[in-house]
Amino acid sequence: MALFSSTPTTKLPSFSSSSKTHLPINLFQSVKPQRQLLFMSIRSTENGSGAAAVIVEEKTDSEVGNGAPVANLVEEVALKYEDPKWVSGTWDLKQFQKGGATDWDAVIDAEVKRRKFLEDNPESSNNDFPVVFDTSIIPWWAWMKRFHLPEAELLNGRAAMVGFFMAYFVDSLTGVGLVDQMGNFFCKTLLFVAVAGVLLIRKNEDVDNLKKLLDETTFYDKQWQATWQDEKKE
Amino acid sequence: MASLSLKSFAGLRQSSPENHHPSITALSKPLSPSQINYRRLNVIASKSSPKITGRNLRVAIVGGGPAGGAAAETLAKGGIETILIERKMDNAKPCGGAIPLCMVGEFDLPLDIIDRRVTKMKMISPSNVAVDIGQTLKPHEYIGMVRREILDAYLRDRASAAGATVINGLFVKMDKPTDKYAPYVIHYNAYDGKAGSAGKKTSIEVDAVIGADGANSRVAKSIDAGDYEYAIAFQERIKIPEDKMQYYENLAEMYVGDDVSPDFYGWVFPKCDHVAVGTGTVTHKADIKKFQTATRLRARDKILGGKIIRVEAHPIPEHPRPRRLADRVALVGDAAGYVTKCSGEGIYFAAKSGRMCAEAIVEGSENGKRMIDESDLRKYLEKWDKTYWPTYKVLDILQKVFYRSNPAREAFVEMCGDEYVQKMTFDSYLYKKVVPGNPLEDLKLAVNTIGSLVRANALRNEMAKL
Repeated sequence: MALFSSTPTTKLPSFSSSSKTHLPINLFQSVKPQRQLLFMSIRSTENGSGAAAVIVEEKTDSEVGNGAPVANLVEEVALKYEDPKWVSGTWDLKQFQKGGATDWDAVIDAEVKRRKFLEDNPESSNNDFPVVFDTSIIPWWAWMKRFHLPEAELLNGRAAMVGFFMAYFVDSLTGVGLVDQMGNFFCKTLLFVAVAGVLLIRKNEDVDNLKKLLDETTFYDKQWQATWQDEKKE
Repeated sequence: MASLSLKSFAGLRQSSPENHHPSITALSKPLSPSQINYRRLNVIASKSSPKITGRNLRVAIVGGGPAGGAAAETLAKGGIETILIERKMDNAKPCGGAIPLCMVGEFDLPLDIIDRRVTKMKMISPSNVAVDIGQTLKPHEYIGMVRREILDAYLRDRASAAGATVINGLFVKMDKPTDKYAPYVIHYNAYDGKAGSAGKKTSIEVDAVIGADGANSRVAKSIDAGDYEYAIAFQERIKIPEDKMQYYENLAEMYVGDDVSPDFYGWVFPKCDHVAVGTGTVTHKADIKKFQTATRLRARDKILGGKIIRVEAHPIPEHPRPRRLADRVALVGDAAGYVTKCSGEGIYFAAKSGRMCAEAIVEGSENGKRMIDESDLRKYLEKWDKTYWPTYKVLDILQKVFYRSNPAREAFVEMCGDEYVQKMTFDSYLYKKVVPGNPLEDLKLAVNTIGSLVRANALRNEMAKL
């Protein structure tokens, strides 16, 4: 009685729940009908769009032991990125249809998983299977909706809170109302600083990062000018 | 600078550059002293330098690579008594070996020096997106792949034919002059062609020294030139089967990714009958072997069945030394640190800086009749910085933007697919000029670059959540 973990993924067509005895898996040297087999498909995700190699484990039944080749090893296929939606080196957009239109969020998710996999398991580049995917096929509004808008909401919220409080604070100190504040140069400067601050400093680390960035832009120039410092001293 | 560019490169763009080489400077032919003086307006110091009687100016060049060879030839042609000291005449240097098209023209290189003409390049991103660049190249344009021992020997031989004395020896130290116009004393071990011998201690007196002895320059140390940050470039020469070699007939590959190098790139460059597979890094030198393994993995299918015939490594300077000259000693080439960022190119700049320094000496000494001093050598620095600063700066910016992280590299490879980018890249690489290009296209390029970077970074942020 073979036990199958019900794999929700559709990418393992060779495992069919009806077949109990003869399992067409070419990873094994021999499969005896009496063997109890436990299959685990590891690393397949729920929605089926992540992919990895198939790792199959075999456990022998305790009774069977006479001369049967002990094949209780975990055989691993060389890790290679595979996914049914990844066709000819790019994402097959036809497989990402949802309600008649392409589900760009799913494409982005799939690409993220692919890149993560490849970062952890770098693969050889092969001329027969070139990768030609270009992120610009995903339309700009899909990127905007997913990445820009939530961040924009956050930043606008911060700006609004800071702005309201500062306007109240300045009003209470100086008695100048909001409309009159906008006419004052100093207040306009403060507004500019506040907006720039909200845009540039989104996390605490950003303060240091910005300083480092500034240094970086002029560092190479300084290295080149170094030889001229001598001349100035003379 | 504009007139200089027209003079230098108009000829290259019109017809086959090999036959039609404009001489970059009139000083490669000896001019009578009267012709030189009247052109210059701001000659101050060297005019007051004493005339040398009874002999010509003596200059020693330490190091016989492209920088030394080019400098020696220009000096010898300018009438200066030139001594070139090289420690290993048949040195097969660990080097990518790529020279830009303009070098062939500017230095009159014979075509048989070039083993291969690379006309296609493949850029491969961390997620193995592969982009071919080179479609915009015109039929006569190529990147020349040379064997360093052949190129270096050719330039040295030409210098020797022009009148320079080429000595096989190892520079040991240099005595600084005690007086304003006293000579430098160079101490070296003369090998005289005997391999393995310790060499005979020899000393010579010269009026000026050009340090062209590479990344670990002893001349630089003796003038307290200071240190620079350097990258380690590690390379394996691999002989691959004939059918795989066909693929690399005129194609070079560049692999980018954190696995291959955290701040540089891995490469597969075709050589005469084998390929060179290598990588480099500045910040993670201890992991260089790991990066090399990763590079070999990425190219695995294309170099399958290959045998490693040689392993080599060398430091590559990342920026110029704090002091590039002192009194009458000047540094050129790798010794000065003239290697570009982003591509790590150094051969052309070494040869060109050697030539420029030599020209400044010839001019300042009026073909060897007068003594020179530091201000003459400063003119070489001035000219060098003015001519090539834009190139270096642009490559520095490119490195800072595109070699930062995997998303940046993905964006980089994506951008390379754009035809305008390819054209601009090759034009500036082959001719060493930062051309402004079409402003509208530049704007589109800027927008596309930002778009690519934003997309790649957005994907990376999502990856971090996984």
